[in-house]
Amino acid sequence: MRLVVAIIKPFKLDEVKEALRSIGVNGLTVTDAQGFGRQRGHTEVYRGAEYQVDFVPKVKVEVMVHEDQVQGVTDAILKAARTGKIGDGKIFVLPAEQVIRIRTGEMGPDAI
Amino acid sequence: MTGRPAEELLAHLRELDRANAPVRQGRAVARARAAIVDEELRDLYGVAGVPDGVALVALGGYGRGMLLPGSDIDLLILHDRVKDIDRVAERLFYPLWDSGLKLGHNVRTVKECIAEAEARIDVASAMLDARAVAGDEAMCEAMVTSIRSVVRRSPKDFALRLREDAADRHERFGSVASDLEPDLKEGAGGLRDLNALGWLAIALDGEDLEALTDSQLLGAREADAIDEAEEFLIRLRSTLHLVTGGRLDRLVLDHQPAIAEMLGFEDDTDMSAADALMRATFERGREARWVVDVVFERLLEPSADTGTAIAATPEAVMAAFADAAESGRALPLASLEAVDAIDLPEGVVWSDEVRDAFLRMLRSGRAAAAIEEMDRAGVLVRYLPDWAPVRYRPQRDPFHRYTVDVHLLRALGGMEGLLAMPGDDPMAREAVGLVGDRDAVLLGALLHDIGKDGTGNHVVIGESTARRALERMGIEEQTRELVRFLVGEHLLLSDTATRRDLTDENLILSVAARIGDPERLAALYLVSIADAAATGPHASTPWRQTLLRELVAKIQHVFERGDVGADTADTLAERTEALAEVLVGEDADEVARFLADLPHSYVVTVPPEEAAIHFSLLRAELDGLEVRTAESVTGVEQDTVRLSVVCTDRPGLLAKIAGALSLSGFSILSAQVFTTESGVAVDVFDVASTFEGDEVGEERWRDFRGTLRKALDGRLSLDYRVKEKRQYYPAHRTAIPVEVTIENDASDFYTVIEIGCADRVGLLFDLTRTLGELEVDVHLAKIATYGGRVVDAFYVRDVVGRKIEDDEHVDEIRRAIAARLAE
Repeated sequence: MRLVVAIIKPFKLDEVKEALRSIGVNGLTVTDAQGFGRQRGHTEVYRGAEYQVDFVPKVKVEVMVHEDQVQGVTDAILKAARTGKIGDGKIFVLPAEQVIRIRTGEMGPDAI
Repeated sequence: MTGRPAEELLAHLRELDRANAPVRQGRAVARARAAIVDEELRDLYGVAGVPDGVALVALGGYGRGMLLPGSDIDLLILHDRVKDIDRVAERLFYPLWDSGLKLGHNVRTVKECIAEAEARIDVASAMLDARAVAGDEAMCEAMVTSIRSVVRRSPKDFALRLREDAADRHERFGSVASDLEPDLKEGAGGLRDLNALGWLAIALDGEDLEALTDSQLLGAREADAIDEAEEFLIRLRSTLHLVTGGRLDRLVLDHQPAIAEMLGFEDDTDMSAADALMRATFERGREARWVVDVVFERLLEPSADTGTAIAATPEAVMAAFADAAESGRALPLASLEAVDAIDLPEGVVWSDEVRDAFLRMLRSGRAAAAIEEMDRAGVLVRYLPDWAPVRYRPQRDPFHRYTVDVHLLRALGGMEGLLAMPGDDPMAREAVGLVGDRDAVLLGALLHDIGKDGTGNHVVIGESTARRALERMGIEEQTRELVRFLVGEHLLLSDTATRRDLTDENLILSVAARIGDPERLAALYLVSIADAAATGPHASTPWRQTLLRELVAKIQHVFERGDVGADTADTLAERTEALAEVLVGEDADEVARFLADLPHSYVVTVPPEEAAIHFSLLRAELDGLEVRTAESVTGVEQDTVRLSVVCTDRPGLLAKIAGALSLSGFSILSAQVFTTESGVAVDVFDVASTFEGDEVGEERWRDFRGTLRKALDGRLSLDYRVKEKRQYYPAHRTAIPVEVTIENDASDFYTVIEIGCADRVGLLFDLTRTLGELEVDVHLAKIATYGGRVVDAFYVRDVVGRKIEDDEHVDEIRRAIAARLAE
C-alpha cells in the first residue's frame, strides 16, 4: 500500500478530484496547506499597503492506494494539476504500513 | 447481596421508554423515570443493611425529581461519621455499577458537603436540589438547609458566580440559540441555564421560579417562555439519549433527521424536517437565553432608568432604539418591556422619520446589537418582513457555524468594527479609507445573505430581496445600487480567490470589469472579510486571507494602471458587445468562436473596427507558413499606418516582422502582440515611413510582404541585410548611453523591460531578436522617440508564461541587450 500525497494549486482541486474519481479512486483527504518551494513568497501591494506572503497557499490531497494503482493515480494528478507554470506543486509517494477502517476494524487493502 | 434490584430497575426503565414515544418524553416522563429509580433504590437500601446516621441522597437533576433516559443517576451517601461507610457504599453502589447503570457517586459528611459547596459553585448548585431517597431524611434536610444558607448569605454574590460560571460554560459549549450542533445541556440557552434560574430563586429565599415572578425579576410572559423552552429541550434531549443509547448531549448533525422525524417535524418546500427541528430548537434556546440574561441583569444591574414612555407608533419605537444606540447602550429593560407591549402593524410603512431614525441607528456603531434587541422585542420583522425567512434558519455547510440571522448580525457587527478600527490588516485599513458610502457597506453586511430563504439561489434571491427592502425603507438610490451590487457579488472575491487561477490575466480583467472601480472593490473586500469572520473559523483562515488579498491587490492594480489596456477593464463587456455588433450579419458560430479564441487584453485594447478586420483575416484557416496582412490609414498619429499581421505563431516571429518592416523602409512606433487560444499570432503595429512625407503605396506593402514571407521561409537573411542597410545611415553624433531597466513591480503578469538607447535602423529587430534568443516572450512593445533617443518598453514573460524574476536570467538579458546594441 502507498500513500500518495499531492501538493497542488488550490484552483486545480476540482479537476484533480474529478480525474481521481474517473479512475476509480473513491476516497481522499483534502487539507488547506501553506508552504514554499521554488516558488518563493512574494509581496502584495494594495494602495501602498504591503503584505509579505512567505507561504504560498496550496491544497494537500492524500490518497491511499494499492501499489498497482500508484502509477494511475500519480498520472491522473499530474495531468490534472499541471499548468506548466512555477508553483504547480509536487507529488510524494510514501510506503504505508497499515490501514484500518475504524468502523469495522478491517485492515490492510480491505480497508482502503 | 445480589444484583436483582438493579436488573429489575433496568426492566422497568425499558418498559417506561416502550410506553412513551419520544414525542411524549417531556418532564412528566422524566419524573416518572425518577420515581421508578427512587422506588428501586429504596428497595435496595432496605436490604443493604445500612446503619443509622446515613442517607441516600439524590443530587442535581435527579434531586429535582427528573431523570432523562441517558442521565447519570447522581447519588450521595451522606453520613454522620459512620464507621466503615465505605463498606456501606460498596453494598449500595456495586449492584448498580454491575448492572451498567450510570452513576454519579459520592460519600460525604454534612460538614464536608458544606465545605465543598463553599468552594465550588457547581457542587453547591447540585446540592441545592438534594433530597433524601432513603435513610435519614432529617440529616439530609439539615444539610440542604445549611447549603441554602450559604447561598442565601449573599444572593447577589451567588448570582454573580452563577453568571460567571455560565459565561465559562458558554465559551466551552457554545449556544443552543444558534449552533448547528448545540449542546442541549451546557450550551447558552440550554437546560443548565434554566436550572440556574431555579437556584437563583432558592438563593432569594424561594422554592421555585415563583419567587422570581413575585420579586418582579421574571415577567409572566417570560415565565411562560422558559417553561415552554424547558419542556421542549427536555423532550429533545431525551430523544437524543434514546437515539444514541447514551448520554450524548450534543445534537450532532447525523442524528438530526431521525430525531426530527420522531418529534413530528415534516419536510416543507422551503425547509427540511431537520432544519425545522433546528429552527424550533434555536427559537427556544434564544428565548431561554434572553430571559435568563434579563433576570440576572434585573437583579445585578438594576437600572434606575425606568425608560421614557414610548408612543405606540413605528416612528417612536425606531427612534427609541436609535436614541439608545447613539448613546452607546442597550434600550433599558423598562423601555424594552414597553416596546413589547406595543403592537406594531405587520409590514410597517417606512415614513421619512422611521428611515432617519433607522439610519441614525445604523451609523451609531452599535447597530448590530440594537437590531438584535429589536428582534428580541419582536419588532424587527414588523419593520423588515424579509427578515422572517432567515430568522433562526440553520445552515448546513462545513463553513457556517451560525444561523442565517445570527450570521448576518455578526457580519454587521464585524463591519462596524472594521469601520471603527480596521485593526492590523493594512488592506482593510486602506479599503476603509476608500469607502465613501458607509451606509452601503453596513447594509451590504446586514443583507448579504438575506436571500437564504430556502427557495433557491440565495445570491440571486438576495439581490432582489435587498432591492425591494431598501426601496421600502426609502434608502437613497445611489446607496441602494451599491448595496445591491454588494449583495449580488458578495461571493465573487472569495470564490474567485480560492477556486480560480490568479495568474490568469483574463480572469483578473473579467473580475475587475465586473466590479467596476476601486471604491466598489474596497467595499466588496470589506463585506467579504466581515462575511468570512462572521461565518466561522474555517472561512477566515490565513490560507483564505492570503488568496483573497492576492486577488484584491491584482484587481486594484488593474484599476490603477494603464498597462494592457487596464484602464478600460470596466469596458470589457462593452467592448465585447461592440465587437459583436460590428460583426452582425456574420455567421454567429464563427463570431462566437472568434470571440472565445481571443485573449481579453485583445478585446479591451483593439478597437472593434480593427477586430472586424482581423476577423475577416482569420476567417479561412491559415495554411502552414501563410502570412496575411491588412493595413489601415487610421494610425495613432498623422501619417502613421496601422498594420495587422496574422499568421501561425512561431519563435522569433516578432523579430522577423520588425526586420522586414525595417528593410521595407518603415519605422515602428508601437507593437502589440496577441496570441489566440488556438495559437495564431495577431500582431498589430503602428508604423510610419522612415522618411517624412514619403507616400506609402501598395508597392511598398507588397515589398514588405514578400520580404517577410521569404524571411519566414528561410530564404532571406534579415541579419546581414539590416546590418548592410544600417551602414548607409550615420550614427548619431552625440553618444547616447544605453539604459536597461527590468521592472517586476509594474505589472502583475509581465516583467517590464525598458531600454533607452540611440535610435537606429532595425532597432526593434535587434532588440526582439535578442529577447527571442533568451526565450523571452514579448507581449507588448511601446516605442517612444525623443529626438535621437528611443525608449522601448517591452511587456514580457518567460517561456512558460511567468514573470522573469530569476536574477541570473535578468542579468543575462541586460548583458545581451547591451552587447547587441554595441554592435
